[in-house]
Amino acid sequence: MLKNTYLIFKNSDYLRPIVINTKRKFLEEPDLILALQQRKKLGADALYEMYSGSLLGIVQRVIADKEIAEDVLQEGLVKIWNSIQQYDPTKGRLFTWMVNVMRNLAIDKVRSKDYRNHSKNQDLENHVNSIDERRNSEYKPEHLGVKDLLQKLRPEQKVIVDMIYFQGFTHVEVSDELAIPLGTVKTRLRMGIIELRKYFK
Amino acid sequence: MSYVNILNKLENIKSYIESGILELYVLGDLAADERSEVEAMSKLHPEVKAELGQIESVMQSLADSLQVLPSEKVRTGFLNSISFSDEEEIIAPVAKQQEAKVVALTKNYTNFYKYAFAASVALLLVSLVAIISLNNSLKNSKQQIAALQSSNQSFANKVNYLDQQVTKTTSALDIYSNPDVKMVKLEGTANAKGAKIMVAFNPKTNKVGLDMKSMDMPKNDADHQYQLWALVDGKPVDLGVFDIEGNQIGFKNMKEISKAQTFAVTLEPRGGSINPTMDKLMVMGNI
Repeated sequence: MLKNTYLIFKNSDYLRPIVINTKRKFLEEPDLILALQQRKKLGADALYEMYSGSLLGIVQRVIADKEIAEDVLQEGLVKIWNSIQQYDPTKGRLFTWMVNVMRNLAIDKVRSKDYRNHSKNQDLENHVNSIDERRNSEYKPEHLGVKDLLQKLRPEQKVIVDMIYFQGFTHVEVSDELAIPLGTVKTRLRMGIIELRKYFK
Repeated sequence: MSYVNILNKLENIKSYIESGILELYVLGDLAADERSEVEAMSKLHPEVKAELGQIESVMQSLADSLQVLPSEKVRTGFLNSISFSDEEEIIAPVAKQQEAKVVALTKNYTNFYKYAFAASVALLLVSLVAIISLNNSLKNSKQQIAALQSSNQSFANKVNYLDQQVTKTTSALDIYSNPDVKMVKLEGTANAKGAKIMVAFNPKTNKVGLDMKSMDMPKNDADHQYQLWALVDGKPVDLGVFDIEGNQIGFKNMKEISKAQTFAVTLEPRGGSINPTMDKLMVMGNI
């Protein structure tokens, strides 16, 4: 049996109710944003169906432990749900905003005392204990997933994209870390992303 | 000139895009002022907006390609820790019942205050009616009390009056029944034919009294009074003045005298005279 949910478009000049087949649990981005803003169950379902995997991928770039990464994912999803009013669609994609929320949470987690104790107990060999530790250590490309598209990039581009996009380093930190000029960091980041475009067209 | 400007502008936008600032924007690696600048540029220049869209799209695709499937407990954990606007669809029956109870309770409180207010108003109205009716009956009672007081007063007056009459009559009887008292009848002269006065004289106590009840004299006016005289060895002695007012009873005590042969009454100017005016002799009688 199909269950229908009605969303009202607030931003349009007129009210347009739309009927969505909730079994699909997939929404176009404007509809998803609306469903989240209106706190509809459908919005939560679609958010999870559409983005939980990609967001967990982001979190796991920072936190290798899947258990902890999943805790952070759940916390992040709740945070996204509760602070959706802060998201401004005119400033960019919903996903971009969500990645920022998730990445910040993950980094906070990694920096917390709680996490460092846990990591030490769990695996002293773990090399992604904390940002501070990583700053002092040499960057290890083998942390990246082998099958991902980043492998298609040149190593000097891949490192920068991974550090900034997935691990939340600032470009200034990357410049320090890798001892390369700021301008070069920016250029390599841009070139790397342009390179990736080829694969997603 | 403007052609050069346009070229310059395009060149500027191109170098802005190529600076890599848009990538940093999408990756959340810009300070607030730089973020605002990118947003402003994006609104002004469609090229910037398009470039931002492309970068976002590529990063999202990259993330999608790296996705990790979460275990099912994340879904339930997430859905259980948030609330929905269309909650009734998923709310547990127990929770629903509780909610219904709370609503009912609130309603009862509201009703309680509603009824309490209505009761207060009703009580106020009843009280007002009671006060008005009590006030009216209080007025009636006061009027009745005033009427009773005035009739009581008139009864008391009557009793007083009767008491005085009885006392006067009793003392008159005492005088008449006293063997020491001599009753002297004064007869009318030519000045007052048919007039008479009974004078009681007690030589032992020297008391002289006029029987006001049996007295038969014309009424005197406001300027004159009757004066009683005793003739003692041929000389008139003043025994006081009196008025004729009608319906008088009892004895009126006059001045005392030890002895007398004759009593007489003259009409004198009010207050009496030292010597009797003989041509105004009204009544006279010998002992």
